Amino acid sequence: MTGLIDNLARFFSAIVGFITPLALLHIGWATLLGIIIGALPGLTATMGIALITTLTYKLPADLAILVLICVYVGAIYGGSRTAILINIPGTPANAATTLDGFPLAMQGLAGRAMGVATSGSVLGSFIGILFLATIAPILGNYALKFQSFEFFWLSIFGIVISGHLTALEDPIKGWIAGFLGLLVAMVGQEGIHAYERFTYGTTELLGGFALIPAMVGAFGFSEVLSVMQNPPAKMAKAPKDSVFPKILDVLRYWRTIIRSGLIGTSIGIIPGVGEDIGAWVSYAAARRKSKEKEKFGKGSIEGLMAAETGNNAVVPGAIIPALTLAIPGSAPAAVLLAAMFIHGLRPGPLIMVESPQFVYQVVAMVFFATLAIFIYGVGLSRLLLKVLAIPRSRLMPIVFVLCAIGSYAITSRLFDIYVMIGFGIVGYILRRMRYPMAPLVLGIILGDILDKNLRRGLVLTDGDLTPFFTRPICLVLWVITLSSILLSITPVRHGLMEGFSWLRLKTYQLLKR
Amino acid sequence: MPKADFITGLILIGLSLYVFVESWRMPRLEHLKIHPLSVPGLVPAFLASVILIFGTALVIRSILRGGHRLGFTFEGLRQIFNKPNNQRLLITAILSIVYAVLLIGHLPYWLATGLYIFLFIILFEWKQGMDRVSWRRYFVSGILIAIFSSLAITLVFERLFLVSLP
Repeated sequence: MTGLIDNLARFFSAIVGFITPLALLHIGWATLLGIIIGALPGLTATMGIALITTLTYKLPADLAILVLICVYVGAIYGGSRTAILINIPGTPANAATTLDGFPLAMQGLAGRAMGVATSGSVLGSFIGILFLATIAPILGNYALKFQSFEFFWLSIFGIVISGHLTALEDPIKGWIAGFLGLLVAMVGQEGIHAYERFTYGTTELLGGFALIPAMVGAFGFSEVLSVMQNPPAKMAKAPKDSVFPKILDVLRYWRTIIRSGLIGTSIGIIPGVGEDIGAWVSYAAARRKSKEKEKFGKGSIEGLMAAETGNNAVVPGAIIPALTLAIPGSAPAAVLLAAMFIHGLRPGPLIMVESPQFVYQVVAMVFFATLAIFIYGVGLSRLLLKVLAIPRSRLMPIVFVLCAIGSYAITSRLFDIYVMIGFGIVGYILRRMRYPMAPLVLGIILGDILDKNLRRGLVLTDGDLTPFFTRPICLVLWVITLSSILLSITPVRHGLMEGFSWLRLKTYQLLKR
Repeated sequence: MPKADFITGLILIGLSLYVFVESWRMPRLEHLKIHPLSVPGLVPAFLASVILIFGTALVIRSILRGGHRLGFTFEGLRQIFNKPNNQRLLITAILSIVYAVLLIGHLPYWLATGLYIFLFIILFEWKQGMDRVSWRRYFVSGILIAIFSSLAITLVFERLFLVSLP
């Protein structure tokens, strides 16, 4: 009970801490910028956070993270506008939103669809915040018990599950992306004996590939290339009906909202599985449970509500493991995590010991960003349409200029611009061949954790592998990891299904006798 | 896709073999009396082995789907480059790489950036059969946007974010 009161007190003190003109100003511009980034096809939340990290690294740590979280929440919400108005998801997180959002707009209900997206996003985010505030401290304390063996499996588990869920039709590509990310992280001085791996005498590679330029390349430059390659998007028309969220829509679909909020938050917690998957799974679950299944895909308010609640609930969910385990729940959270390290913050198992207040500051930041998207959601329509009308031939060169100078700004090295270009080209090629980017990012983050903990674990046991497989958490993690791999191999899956049917038949025959 | 998978698989096999050999050649640091299982090459070698397995699986799968019959012809290559979307991609890539690698650091930052934005707009907004008035508008708007954005970005980064520009 005392713990709960302490935590509530920390939360309220964090809220009060951000009610200053300067913090409110940052919340205002950052959320608006996030919404614009999200709404512009080709500019994603990950790219937005990576770029803005480079612009805010001279701000004090708490304000810089506040700005980044506002951009994150704003971008995931902003993408819904484009999805509804022109049938193109502003960010991958809003792909499921197009299914019902655009048909509603075609029926002349674009305003109502935007209202549903606003209420879904806000409520989804609030559900996620509730879990962020309650689960993060518990997980943080629990993570103190984790040893090298658990951290080793956690990184492999993260890569395999993220690879599987982000490339459902071809999981091998997700795993390849993840392991390539881990390999990229091997470049530079390793953390145990300080040996320089794969640096070939270049001092620039001593610290490995810097994450922010790599992300700006993989998500920024490669997007510029994709946007310029694709045919131009259609122009959006202004909605004729009101964009103000309707209480009736919320009351009628409260079950869908809670279910999607829970699904979104849980998917957020899974390492490297982000907002897009949160939206799709929430959408599928809503459709399965709906009494109006036939309306899905033709302009269902329930479907739209599920998708938009699901994707925004992922945001606080994805921050939970990032804060407590230093393992990001999504690609944008990976960049957010990197930004926290740049600002000298130390997310990870010790967070609840070293700086519990920071956890509640993050909760308060997501809270304020959510309030801001509500205000903008109600008031902002015309400005977004104007932004969407900017031709890509004028916007994209400016985006690329920002990618280049942003990569350079953190350490003032031209080398980082070349890293951005390299990752941009490789990222573009991989994406064209349907390799997901999220496991790659996760791999780059988890590489160091995997490297240190596998070697430490082996030294601790003098080469005995037993603890890696028998400790309770390890057991759960490796069983899920192995099942994920085995179940995606078609002959194995068929064999298991046949075995299961045979077993069921035999049991039935036995019972009948 | 099987053809692309076949080539990617081969590249992954090559990469993993290279990483494995490099990891094997990394020092064992015996003189430091470290535990033999904490050698620097252990994890890269482990990762290379996993990528080798995935690369081989990708190659086998693509061969089963006929991906090894690559059938490269100059005519096919010409057709790829003739598609307008691929031309747009190529122009964007070349312009951006030239700007980032050759112009930045060799020309004053504002000039390099202005030049890049101007060329980008001019190349992508060019339309066949423009009359004199549209020509002028097209050219002047390109120059104005380039000057304004380049100066704005230069000033913001130099004065506001205190970055010493390249």
